[in-house]
Amino acid sequence: MARVILVFNKKVIKEYPFDKENMTIGRNEGNDIVVDNLAVSGLHARIDKTQDTYILTDLQSTNGTFVNDKRITSHRLHHKDKIIIGKHLLFFALTKEEEVKAKDKELDKTMILDTVKHKDLLAKQAEKRGMEVPTQKEKIGVISFIDGSSQGEIQLTKKLTKIGKAETSEIRLGGLLMPSTAATISRRPNGYAITTTGGKTVRVNNEAIQESRYLKDFDTIEIGSYKFQFYTQESEDEK
Amino acid sequence: MKLTAAGLSDVGRKRGSNEDYFLMDTSANLYIVADGMGGHLAGEIASKVAVEIIKKTVNGWITRNSPEDELFDFPDSTLSKRGNYILSGIKLANRVIYEMSREYAEYKGMGTTIVVLAIMPSTVVAANVGDSRIYLIRGNMIEPLSKEHSMVTEQLEMGLISKEEAQTSPLRHILTRNLGSSDTVDADVFEVEPMNNDRFLLCTDGLTDHVSDDEILGIIKNGDDPEHLCQQLVSEANKRGGNDNITVSLIFVDRLDRERQGILKRFWHFFKK
Repeated sequence: MARVILVFNKKVIKEYPFDKENMTIGRNEGNDIVVDNLAVSGLHARIDKTQDTYILTDLQSTNGTFVNDKRITSHRLHHKDKIIIGKHLLFFALTKEEEVKAKDKELDKTMILDTVKHKDLLAKQAEKRGMEVPTQKEKIGVISFIDGSSQGEIQLTKKLTKIGKAETSEIRLGGLLMPSTAATISRRPNGYAITTTGGKTVRVNNEAIQESRYLKDFDTIEIGSYKFQFYTQESEDEK
Repeated sequence: MKLTAAGLSDVGRKRGSNEDYFLMDTSANLYIVADGMGGHLAGEIASKVAVEIIKKTVNGWITRNSPEDELFDFPDSTLSKRGNYILSGIKLANRVIYEMSREYAEYKGMGTTIVVLAIMPSTVVAANVGDSRIYLIRGNMIEPLSKEHSMVTEQLEMGLISKEEAQTSPLRHILTRNLGSSDTVDADVFEVEPMNNDRFLLCTDGLTDHVSDDEILGIIKNGDDPEHLCQQLVSEANKRGGNDNITVSLIFVDRLDRERQGILKRFWHFFKK
């Protein structure tokens, strides 16, 4: 079993066997490892065990958590790592067997870590660093008709928006020369991209596109006599 | 539409067993790759179970043309019907693996990543959970059609670490989502319009840990036989260490006769009458 050994002023104060899924470290009484020192936050850090791997995460502590003299946000613990919290040292130790096993695991073994808790944690870390808390809001694309037609603005909520004459199109355009699908706009990991399906010339900023192209805010798109502008706005929905 | 596809799974150079699994269902044009995890044989079982369940359920729904509100869990209104079939198949596979891992001691802690690609003449659906990937190679560009669900990616997106730190982070193999670790899961699903000469790659991290996106692009552009290219990708990853199982599947799109209802075609139809 892994152990965490609490050391202060070069003296071992206590040894904690790692006999559960996670252990918390902090000044408050409720912690698994209580470090009674004003430099230590109430709830300072946490160690999670996933399979045979141990992960240390700083819980937005005031004075930070250090491993082998480096400040960490989260860190995969190795045998003999020195965790420093305030003026206390926590020594992380594995048994011989575990050490061998862990060495195997070093081989980039994939693991799963829970999850929702961790998301909150990352957000808190960001907040602590004086960063803007990352919003969970997504950016959503909108097209705004500027050709005088009465379509107004349409949000691109679908992953794939079809534009054309067909009744099933999310954005319907009329006209004798309009194909059933003239273009599609897809929402991909890297952003929104428009793709021409070949039936009709699609222009982005006055340039006829071949196949597909990523859209930037305020790009102007022309299909036949229709003209509209693309832009993104923050979605009302949480991600 | 003509699709040419190949797939290859290799144990790599360091592992004793192959926990990856892949499937190419050419009748439904459904392609799936999974990277299992968990002790003993559990990882191998998780990846296989996930792939087979998704294949069976999705094909069943296609055959019956099932309405979206009859699928497992709620449909996603931003997706097409086929997109919802795949999303729902993934959610169902997750539940089964989760229940199996709770029921049987030998399956405890088992899980798997998943990437699913379905190609239809009008729409391509790409779905994923975990750190296996889907790429679209179009012209001289390579772009992801999947999102990585790992701690490092989340830290990167929030600006807590730099891109350089992310590449070497010891935490890069820690997933925040997979199939099997929780009773519900959400997949990232993307839909795009296919084009002639599109090439799609599905792969596990055994490839992407060793070979960069640009290098993958270089290899895939440099040949026309998917089977040979799959071998090249795998041997490149092995040459650089082969730390993990490597699985790749390549699909080439050709002769896409999209229904083009341009004016000429409609005139043609008119005259034929």
